[in-house]
Amino acid sequence: MSDFFNFDTLSLHAGQTIDKEFGARATPIYQTTSFVFPDTDTASSIFNLERGGHAYSRITNPTVSVLEQRIAALEGGSAAVCTASGMAATFCAITAILSQGDHIVASSQMYGGNISLMKNTLPRFGITTTFVDPTDIGGFRDAVEENTRLIYGELIGNPGLDILDLEAIAEIAAASRIPFMVDATFNTPYLCRCLDYGANMTIHSVTKWLGGHGTAIGGVVVDGGNFDWGAAGKYPTITEPYAPFQGINLWEEFGPSAFATRIRAEAMRDFGPSMAPMTAFLLLQGIETLSLRMEKHHSNTEQMLEFLSNHDQVSWVNHPSLPSHPSHALARKYLPKGAGSIVSFGVNGGREAGKAFIENVQLASHLANVGDAKTLIIHPASTTHSRIDAEALVAAGISEDMIRLSVGLEDIRDLKADFETGFRAAKRAADA
Amino acid sequence: MYFEVGGKQVFATTGGKPFDKNLPTVVFLHGSGLDHTFWGLHARFFAFRKYSVIAPDLPGHTHSEGPPLASIEEMADWLHAVLDALGADNISLVAHSQGCLVALEFTSRYPQRVNSVSFIASGLATPVNDALINAAEKNPDVAIGMMMAWGFGPAGHLHQGPVPGNSMVAGGRQVMRGNVPNELATDLKACNAYSNGETAAAKISCPVQVILAGKDRMAPRKAGLQLVAHLPSPELHIIDESGHMLPVEAPDECRKLLRDFIFSHNPA
Repeated sequence: MSDFFNFDTLSLHAGQTIDKEFGARATPIYQTTSFVFPDTDTASSIFNLERGGHAYSRITNPTVSVLEQRIAALEGGSAAVCTASGMAATFCAITAILSQGDHIVASSQMYGGNISLMKNTLPRFGITTTFVDPTDIGGFRDAVEENTRLIYGELIGNPGLDILDLEAIAEIAAASRIPFMVDATFNTPYLCRCLDYGANMTIHSVTKWLGGHGTAIGGVVVDGGNFDWGAAGKYPTITEPYAPFQGINLWEEFGPSAFATRIRAEAMRDFGPSMAPMTAFLLLQGIETLSLRMEKHHSNTEQMLEFLSNHDQVSWVNHPSLPSHPSHALARKYLPKGAGSIVSFGVNGGREAGKAFIENVQLASHLANVGDAKTLIIHPASTTHSRIDAEALVAAGISEDMIRLSVGLEDIRDLKADFETGFRAAKRAADA
Repeated sequence: MYFEVGGKQVFATTGGKPFDKNLPTVVFLHGSGLDHTFWGLHARFFAFRKYSVIAPDLPGHTHSEGPPLASIEEMADWLHAVLDALGADNISLVAHSQGCLVALEFTSRYPQRVNSVSFIASGLATPVNDALINAAEKNPDVAIGMMMAWGFGPAGHLHQGPVPGNSMVAGGRQVMRGNVPNELATDLKACNAYSNGETAAAKISCPVQVILAGKDRMAPRKAGLQLVAHLPSPELHIIDESGHMLPVEAPDECRKLLRDFIFSHNPA
């Protein structure tokens, strides 16, 4: 062994130790709430963070840990903590380091749940957010205030698909000694490892492409281990004594995994958004084929882009791989293997035509998810982003006629035929 | 905790308990390019079992002020100054890799301070190949990659760490990246230049144990057995499935061996 294992190998093997009793090749599902301690000394040492080990599945579970360590390996992170959902991951990551009076600078073009969390919910706990157009680098710099403690964004904005300039924003964050957290759900580590470009931690809704089969909800926070919490001097939850663990100083004791340890020690214990072992198993099955699926997602996306771009019923098509997209250059830089399999487009004839299209396709499922093996469509303005106001809708890059398409793995000929059926219905609605 | 030695700031973790010079003290010495966090799965264990613990960052490593020390002999004298500053005696040394060379030299120079020594993954000397030293001087990140690739055994490479959710390789890489410039090259050159191991080992008379890793590609078993041959009746243990980074790759086995040895030879 002269070097490190490569991505596809890690997708299959990372994190799993073959069980010594039966030699199970697949990761066993440890469907148990708790674990029998061999003796009292071992029990107390696990509770006191003196050693690794499992006590109670709200905090850690062997099946979930395999998933955590596999994702950490794929991302190049020093540690990962899985949660019950992507939103739980975001909430746990933010509250691990921000408290009342702190401030976030965030991209305005994000999943509606992220925007709602920062715009409506976190202010109730005294944490405020300034939203910035993701293409406005100077805007990020200008928005940093004395009490700013986090810069947050999605590499591929949802659903406008603008690409965040990771290195430029990482530079702003580093200059202010503020961590840069990236929701990397749409890219997965297969398309881009954001930590390699200066991000300090990533968030994933594992539900989406990582899991990839629409069978389980889950999230993960990945600690890049590359932020100097001590030098920053403004993150007491990491660098000051933590009373519940006999005054432990997480930064001093755990160094590059201090942030992940805080999430484990506080959020998983006190908030409790743990991932179920069966969920971890399902998501692990997805990750085993991540590379294969992402390649097919992208070959289908390329053909679908060509199809839509040349279709009379389509008024516009948006995807970062198209030269016309404002983020095309950034997509080529950060996403050379493909800029994701989310496409947005407009149907000629406005809202009624769009509605007819969605209701008349058969293979493309109308639902609120992305990153499934199956093709999915939705009308964001009336669904995923319906809870944000008109101004925020515009800032998020959403128009009334927008249809968001998550390109799946079906035979592209069948998908095109399915869309033709939808477009014929759209034309009838528009002509009526 | 932070304290001063020779006008320079030094950091050492005490494992979560205040340092008490009246207790028997376990001193942990890290290897090239690493820091106190290497002992995270050991220091806290002893600190909560009536031992005082000191796991210092060598000068120029993570929280300790630089510059890094250029020779193993200087590191041994620096450790002596650290213990003077803290008033620590009655110590059990636990050392890994480069730290073992420091422990050899320190114990031979200041035998009255040492109750026992645990050598982990080391020989009498640590010859370092030119490619690694050159990389450390010209492109530290490449050298760090080599150290991680060679340092970890199969479990490390497959991210099967003992701490749920943690990647040992990525964590080690970040620790090494956090040190001062030239620190890794200085460490490696100090190891490469050290040639007093055989003489130092002959002067050691306190109880010693040697823990070797079966899949060690940086301090191969053959080199470790040479160390064993020159020490006075050491306990020898070989953990077959571990690589060089044994205290983090096989912490439970390692901790048990350290516990039994230190509890026996330096009881709290």
